[in-house]
Amino acid sequence: MSFWKEAARRVSYLPFRSRFDRELDDELQFHIETRADELEQAGASRTAALGQARRELGPTARVREDVRSAWQFRWLEDLLADLRYAARGLRRNPAFALTAIACLGLGIGANTTMFSIAAEVLFSQPSVRDAQSVDLVNIGGNSHSPMYGYHFIREAGIFTDVVGENENMETNWRHGDATDRLFAILVTDNFFQATGVPLAMGRPILPGDSSAVVISYQLWQSRLGGDPNVIGRRLVLDGRPFMVSGVLPRDHRTLFGFGFAPDLYMLAPDDKRPVMLFARLPEGMTRQIAEARLLALCRQLDAIHPHEAWDQGVSVTATAGLARITGNQGTMAVAAFFAMLMVVVGLVLAIACANVASLLLARASSRSHELAIRLSIGAGRGRIIRHLFAESLLLALIGTAAGLCLNIGLTALLSRIRLPLPVPIQFVITPDQRLLGYSIATALGTSLVAGLFPAIRATRGGISTLLKQGERQISGWWSLRSMLVTGQLAISIVLLSAAVLFVRNLVDSATMNPGFDIQHTVWASMRLVPESYPDSKRVRLLTDDALERLRTIPGVEAASIAQVVPLNDSMNYQMSVKTDLDGTPHVLRWNGNEVGPDYFKTMRIPILAGREFLPGDKTGTQPVAIINQEMARALFGDHDPVGHVAWFGSKQPVQIAGVARNSKYMTLGEENKPGVYYPYAQQDVAPVNLHFLIRATGNPTAILSGVHTRLHGVDSTAALEVKTMQQGLGLALLPSRAGAIILGSMGLLGLALASIGLYGVLLYSVSRRVREIGLRMALGATPGAVLKLVVRQSASLTVVGVAIGLAISIFAVRPLAMFLNPEVHTGSPTNFVIVAAFLSAVAMAATVAPAVRAARVDPVVALRE
Amino acid sequence: MGERTTPELLPGTLYMLILRTLRGGALHGYAIAKRVKESSNEDLIIEDGSLYPALNRMLVKGWLSAEWGISENNRKARFYSLTTEGRKQLEEESEDFERLVRAIRLVMKTA
Repeated sequence: MSFWKEAARRVSYLPFRSRFDRELDDELQFHIETRADELEQAGASRTAALGQARRELGPTARVREDVRSAWQFRWLEDLLADLRYAARGLRRNPAFALTAIACLGLGIGANTTMFSIAAEVLFSQPSVRDAQSVDLVNIGGNSHSPMYGYHFIREAGIFTDVVGENENMETNWRHGDATDRLFAILVTDNFFQATGVPLAMGRPILPGDSSAVVISYQLWQSRLGGDPNVIGRRLVLDGRPFMVSGVLPRDHRTLFGFGFAPDLYMLAPDDKRPVMLFARLPEGMTRQIAEARLLALCRQLDAIHPHEAWDQGVSVTATAGLARITGNQGTMAVAAFFAMLMVVVGLVLAIACANVASLLLARASSRSHELAIRLSIGAGRGRIIRHLFAESLLLALIGTAAGLCLNIGLTALLSRIRLPLPVPIQFVITPDQRLLGYSIATALGTSLVAGLFPAIRATRGGISTLLKQGERQISGWWSLRSMLVTGQLAISIVLLSAAVLFVRNLVDSATMNPGFDIQHTVWASMRLVPESYPDSKRVRLLTDDALERLRTIPGVEAASIAQVVPLNDSMNYQMSVKTDLDGTPHVLRWNGNEVGPDYFKTMRIPILAGREFLPGDKTGTQPVAIINQEMARALFGDHDPVGHVAWFGSKQPVQIAGVARNSKYMTLGEENKPGVYYPYAQQDVAPVNLHFLIRATGNPTAILSGVHTRLHGVDSTAALEVKTMQQGLGLALLPSRAGAIILGSMGLLGLALASIGLYGVLLYSVSRRVREIGLRMALGATPGAVLKLVVRQSASLTVVGVAIGLAISIFAVRPLAMFLNPEVHTGSPTNFVIVAAFLSAVAMAATVAPAVRAARVDPVVALRE
Repeated sequence: MGERTTPELLPGTLYMLILRTLRGGALHGYAIAKRVKESSNEDLIIEDGSLYPALNRMLVKGWLSAEWGISENNRKARFYSLTTEGRKQLEEESEDFERLVRAIRLVMKTA
């Protein structure tokens, strides 16, 4: 305790050092004068008295030093002096300094940024009061439960509170002449009280407050222009007036998690929609107990609502932290992906640190002459080691600072990006202190060890050995530096093997054919206000009207409508299917879609047999369907399906009208799946979310505004989004591309770092042997023989490094298969050959260039160096 | 220096002497040295060169506090005074010292 007080006192004196020195001088002056006064009174002359007093006190310089060392300013001052000296040294050698700083900065920046993203996606807590006690509740194996389930569980009272929310809500916001689609979360009336979601301003939605909405910070800032008087502002949503009661803070995280960022919260208007249930567990109740009590409750619910199997798939899972991940299969895959990314960036950091270590080693041994001279003119060994330490410290500090800046810049950039996905996803990414600490420790550790180790070794032998050895190689063949080179090569091989796989994956995805044309199509989505269209007839009239108008736009070849747009959204079923051909049920996993007439013409999907849908295929006429090749093969084999009847699950039987060519439904990388198309107009209900597809004869961007005007003319209260298919799908493909881009760029970064490091180290070690080479040549070696010698040494290092790296990579990249297209094989030898060849080439280039230069040097000059 | 033969200060007693001298109130450095010399009948002399480092070490330890004031000869001087911790330290040190002296005397008498 007193130690800390002392330390604090010492530190508090630091900023006043110069004043302190002045005061000490005053004090000593006072001492001398007072003593002189005394002596003068005893009869001495002033001058003699002063002289005597000074002699008694002794040399003031020594007193001053002793006093200062009492405060222990010295080591700190020495450190500062060392740092200044180191800074001068680095300035004199900017190439070295910049390389080391860039390596550390990139490594640390990449590492911390990746960690920040992973921490946000996987470990962030929802913005609720005491998030640890709020759990996700699933009953009957479903993500969402009907409202009666919510009421039943809430009234049973086993939890402190139960809330429900439905995040699949869209609403049309009408402002002026424009209508925007907003994403809303519908919540039960106790939601804000029970969860304690913090607000930036205003008040939460209270029970019964059905016209109040709480809006997101982003909505407030962007579309409401940051209006300071936003509280109380009227918003017309789906034709009804609402009032903004509160604004969420910028870093609001929903209970749903994974960056889901809706525009606003509003109360569920009725009990029609199912809700996701969240419960606050009473203090002391574990998840096991909660699950057991919930199960008992679900059995009671089964008695009231039979045939729903509420007691199946009952679970209580955490919404925050690690427990959320282990409790959920889907989350595990995300976690695995991030774990892999973390390993990759970890390797990048390792390469960066190895680079710095070898640079520092190289520098220290090249300075052994300087060190010897300093030792011989009286510098203490500790002093020299401390000086080298200061240099490493300075490098590490600057490098880490650069990494920190990179991290802050990147995370700020990432937080601003609103991912172009069908649902609003936005991550609140902040620089992470924990990982930053870890990275700083790694960087400091490496540079200190790499700086200190050669310093200790260089000063160990004493002056004579140092001077004698001069610039010659101190250590044996398998020196620390050689091991660094091989280790670096091995790590780079592993990293690059992974990167090559992802780059190939990216290339494959980009060239893959979705089975339909995306070059000339426009995709217009239109959401109608449900209250304005109480019956399907009006929607159908509007749809027909809209299609009619779209077809009149100049430059439009065809227009159609679809329930879902492939590669953006999909409807998957697993059902038993039978046909009138054999009557035996097949259980198939397939994709479905409801499409209008001309869909196949618009999308350029060829009809291989039978016909395309016609305007006559609507309710009241013979139900028909078009199947794809894969479905035709599964159900009918070699028979022609056209005209046959098929039963898909419990739906009414349909007659097969045609067979369409296979195309992709969910992802570009998927294998061909069975598919069924139904006529849009034969659905029981008409959805209010309309997806129009329009084919242009030329450039699709030319018709965008025409499409917008026509559709706006049909219903101006509908929310409209018109874009080319290229834009729409390019964005939808982003998640699969993101991984490839991140890993690809990590791989390139690793490659760049590894190449720099390798080149630097080899270049350096060869150039240091100029004297040896000169000697050999003076003794009669030919330039060719010298070249061979140097190349052979580098080559054996390279071979060992590459071999170790390849051996590791063959096993290390295997688990990546689950993130790749089936066409990209992890074991493919070409990948490894490419990687090994590339790095070997870098190594050779780094060896041959200086060796050739050395071989050309005049032996006399080389020896004199 | 060294004109007269004075007994060497026992190691570690310098702090105690300074603390004891300051018990009566704040003094400046010169006065401390003078007081020690006078009260020991000029048998104990704190070397001027070691006085100020010792005072500063005691400041660091928190036994003393220092303040600028005006001396009796109208000069600006730095006055040192005891802190609570310093008083405690003085008690401890004098007790230890008493015990040590008793023990040494005992040995000198009997052995």
